[in-house]
Amino acid sequence: MNFRKKLKAGLIVVLMLCAGCLYTPETPLLPGASEDLESCAALFPSGPWECVHKIEAVISQGVSSSLIGITKGDPAGRELHTVLLTPEGFILFEAEQREHAMSVLKAVAPFDSPAFARGLMEDVNFLFLAPEGGPSKWGRTADGAILCRWESPDGTRREVTLSTVRKISLRDRHGDLAKEALFVVPFVKGLASQMELRVHKPAPYRLKMNLLPGTP
Amino acid sequence: MRKSVLREIVFLGAVTFAGLVADKPVHSQDWASLKESFRNIQSVKAEFVQERHLQILKDPLVSEGRFFYLASGSLRWEYLSPLQSVMLQKGDNVQLYHFSEGAWKQDMAQGVEARRMVLAEMRQWFQGRFEESRIFRHSYSQGPPGRILLTPGEGINKFILVIEIVLSDRPGVIERVEITEPGGSATRIVFRNVELNAGLPSKVFDEP
Repeated sequence: MNFRKKLKAGLIVVLMLCAGCLYTPETPLLPGASEDLESCAALFPSGPWECVHKIEAVISQGVSSSLIGITKGDPAGRELHTVLLTPEGFILFEAEQREHAMSVLKAVAPFDSPAFARGLMEDVNFLFLAPEGGPSKWGRTADGAILCRWESPDGTRREVTLSTVRKISLRDRHGDLAKEALFVVPFVKGLASQMELRVHKPAPYRLKMNLLPGTP
Repeated sequence: MRKSVLREIVFLGAVTFAGLVADKPVHSQDWASLKESFRNIQSVKAEFVQERHLQILKDPLVSEGRFFYLASGSLRWEYLSPLQSVMLQKGDNVQLYHFSEGAWKQDMAQGVEARRMVLAEMRQWFQGRFEESRIFRHSYSQGPPGRILLTPGEGINKFILVIEIVLSDRPGVIERVEITEPGGSATRIVFRNVELNAGLPSKVFDEP
């Protein structure tokens, strides 16, 4: 009997540990001030914008490519228009988004697959548009950082963290970090002068983006 | 894939060709002497300002750069701003680099094959062999200013309507090149400080 109790307790501990392995727990939050919520929203452009970035796309260590990215948007209608060009000015990809409908205007191989279009527009949404609705939780972490969290019905969660580093992160339904974007000050008309998007899943890559002067 | 390569050929070719024929004959030349002067060029060195007009942008995207060319088969086409990137050709070898975090990095192979094909097409152009182009029909008006019009055939005209090369009043210099695309997009390249047949060190074509 004693052995059975121990076995049961042991199984519960093992199950708890496994659950811990499978799901990254949320960072516990302390209550924050109302201004903290506004600070999270301020990471995204609040009105229509237009910007040009020079982009270094890093697929793996030592393998990279140089591109120009143009993005125009309006958070009011969740509208986006994005163009990807070679340094010579050749258009590789162009797409628009209105509300949640995306239309590809131009795409050349190898940028002409639906998966690429979907992935690129997801990245642009991630970088420039605040998640829809208010955050499900917000407050301060133990080290004083402001954190706002949006949870989706599909189990993914998006977090804006503001401390010495300003970043957005996206975790999948298992709690694994899928992608994150780091923003570097100064901000120019609501846009970070530098951004780095680090995508971890499903295929890893990085985009180092520098806002070009004179835009918007 | 073939179509996109061809599109890139046409676009890059147009952009790069603009530099290669800089410092060409004056507006009063007839077609035969114009072609002859292409054949007399051994090297070209110049700077350029490129304006990329796109419908998405209120103001054009302005790039500056320079290029070096040897008739023996070498080319350096370099952007200095806003991105630093360079395309190097020596013989059949084409390399593309971009400058990032204090160092030149070799660019992904994407597009390099297309660039190689661009250069093959261009070899015909800068030797004045426009008739041999499989992509463009040409026409020339003596002006002033002298103009070469390159009109793409069926298919490519979905991406480029016309390329216009405007010769400068200064003998042997091209003033600008304008590439017009359907839908209102365009590229305009203006040349300056053009030097013909100057000695160019080999490392210009070897190192980014």
